[in-house]
Amino acid sequence: MNLRSLSTSLLVLTALWSVSGCGTSSGTGSAGGSASTTPGKKIKIGVSVPSADHGWTAGVGYWAEKAMAMYPDVEWVYKTADKPETQIADIETMMTGELDGLVVLATESAPLTPVAKAAHERGIYIVNVDRGFLEPVADVFIEGDNEAFGRKSAEFVVQKLGGKGKILVLEGIPSTVNTDRVNGANKVFQANPGVTVLESQSGMWNRQKALEVTQAMLLKHPQVDAIWASDDDMALGAEQALKEAGRQNVWILGGAGMKDIVKRVMDKDPVFPANITYPPSMIATGIHLAVSNLRDGKKDDIKQFMPRHMKLDVELITPDNAKDFYFPDSVY
Amino acid sequence: MNPKASHLLDKYGIYLALVILVAFSAVMSPTFLNPENLRNIVNQQAVIGLVAIGMTLVVVTGGIDLSVGSTVVLSATMGLYAMNAQLAKGASEPVAVLVALGTGAVVGALCGWTMGVLVARAKLAPFIATLCGLVAFRSFALTPAKAGEVRSSSLDIYPGIGQGGLPWPLVGNGQPMVTWNILVLIVAAVLGWLILERTTLGRNMVAVGGNETAARLAGVRTERVKTVAYVLTGLLCGIGGFLQAARMNSVSTAQVGTLYELDAIAAVAIGGASLSGGVGSVTRTVVGVLVLSVIQNMLVTLEVSQYLHGAVKGAIILFAVLLQRGRNSE
Repeated sequence: MNLRSLSTSLLVLTALWSVSGCGTSSGTGSAGGSASTTPGKKIKIGVSVPSADHGWTAGVGYWAEKAMAMYPDVEWVYKTADKPETQIADIETMMTGELDGLVVLATESAPLTPVAKAAHERGIYIVNVDRGFLEPVADVFIEGDNEAFGRKSAEFVVQKLGGKGKILVLEGIPSTVNTDRVNGANKVFQANPGVTVLESQSGMWNRQKALEVTQAMLLKHPQVDAIWASDDDMALGAEQALKEAGRQNVWILGGAGMKDIVKRVMDKDPVFPANITYPPSMIATGIHLAVSNLRDGKKDDIKQFMPRHMKLDVELITPDNAKDFYFPDSVY
Repeated sequence: MNPKASHLLDKYGIYLALVILVAFSAVMSPTFLNPENLRNIVNQQAVIGLVAIGMTLVVVTGGIDLSVGSTVVLSATMGLYAMNAQLAKGASEPVAVLVALGTGAVVGALCGWTMGVLVARAKLAPFIATLCGLVAFRSFALTPAKAGEVRSSSLDIYPGIGQGGLPWPLVGNGQPMVTWNILVLIVAAVLGWLILERTTLGRNMVAVGGNETAARLAGVRTERVKTVAYVLTGLLCGIGGFLQAARMNSVSTAQVGTLYELDAIAAVAIGGASLSGGVGSVTRTVVGVLVLSVIQNMLVTLEVSQYLHGAVKGAIILFAVLLQRGRNSE
């Protein structure tokens, strides 16, 4: 899914450790680094993420657990929350213990900002992933580039259509992430008048909802060339709608690199000619950074050069490069 | 309003509501009456329909079942695991699919039985007992799947059940008009109607819901009648879960079945059942499901903003319920 972002973080990590005079190999991913921590003092890091309400968030959980398992010498507190209220309570409970670091993928940005600020004021090191806080309270903020997600995927659609065709658009849950993606794509579609967006509706990043919405849209539009589904759960719903309507020769561009879709891109399935990454493993990048910045007790030194905002590029997955993004063991 | 007219409205108001909605949608959207669209409207809500038929029985006995959505997801998940295990052992696809159906039905019926025992024998308030089921049953599906998706390893028959149907009539493009989902819904509706209107069990359900003490004094085994209503609901949830999972060829344990209880209760209420028990009709509940489904279809077809869906849906449900209350509103 995101070998690149993982390797980027590994690079950053290696650089950090050599700068801080602690040349432990970061490549092994084992607990071997425990020699460099202060004996008797385990660092404690809280990880708070949304519960797995769709494939992507399930991927977040998978990668979070995988990253935490790499560091058994850290004391982890891991919580998933289905809504902001639960997440705030989770973080408040975490803070009652001696917490050194906090990695947060917010269910929603605004309601989580005050509790993150409180944590920040207590001197807890905060890594914020994907959905940003409204105030600069995070020590590091890692997010995917959603505007590029929309732009690059739309560019592929235009190119594959040869600049001429009729498409349906499936939007996600109303949110800044969705807005950035859809706006990014619409800019490209508007710049190519040969491509007509017949209709744009929300499938709520949900397979069944996308199925129902696509069925209704297909009935209104006898001629459809492609569906810009913006998410792989929705792409599978759209595919089911095509099957149930008996429609052939319509292809779909999903997004976020679900392993089944990536496999089908790799196998040159005509329904899925490409995909675009939006790696849920960015949570692992965040966890990895939190550990590496905290474990040597030099976070204040590291802060001097650590970028506060990292925007991960997204990449188009085509049959040529699909094997680099295919993780058969991942849940997503 | 004169008493006769209000009685008619009370009895047939729901059909009138459906006709008004259909007429409105047909005028507003040229594709609404397209056979394929009509097929989709029923097909999309077939599982909710099954759940709502069970819910009608429970509501008639004076109960409520909030656990239905979680029962759907749990039985679907267990069915899929059982099927995949069979396939992994080298069983043939038809056998494995039957195992999935059997497992789903048994798990569903067991969930329903648990609810029934808590309500009928342990005398817990149905709202509370089934609330426990609502929160607990899904956990048993989330845990093995780590809240993710369980995929079927059946390639043909299982997903075929989700898409196929009777070979005639067709809606064009070679797709069936009467999908298996729709067929099962029709069969369940007929059986549900028979049970409630034509059997002693059904009459006892109405009696228990109308006046439990009187029913008991009249010799009705009230605890058993109530338990059976929950078991049948659970069984329908199990079959519904099987169909739902077949349609997607997978179960998303965090998503499938969420808020089904509310849709089912809404359908039962639109169908004119009394939530205090003793009154309810399977046919009118099915019409209630269709009303909900037409609303949903209309909102999407007319491109009503996603933000407004809830408001429109709420207003129309309210209208449909009030329409039948001609008599009571005087």
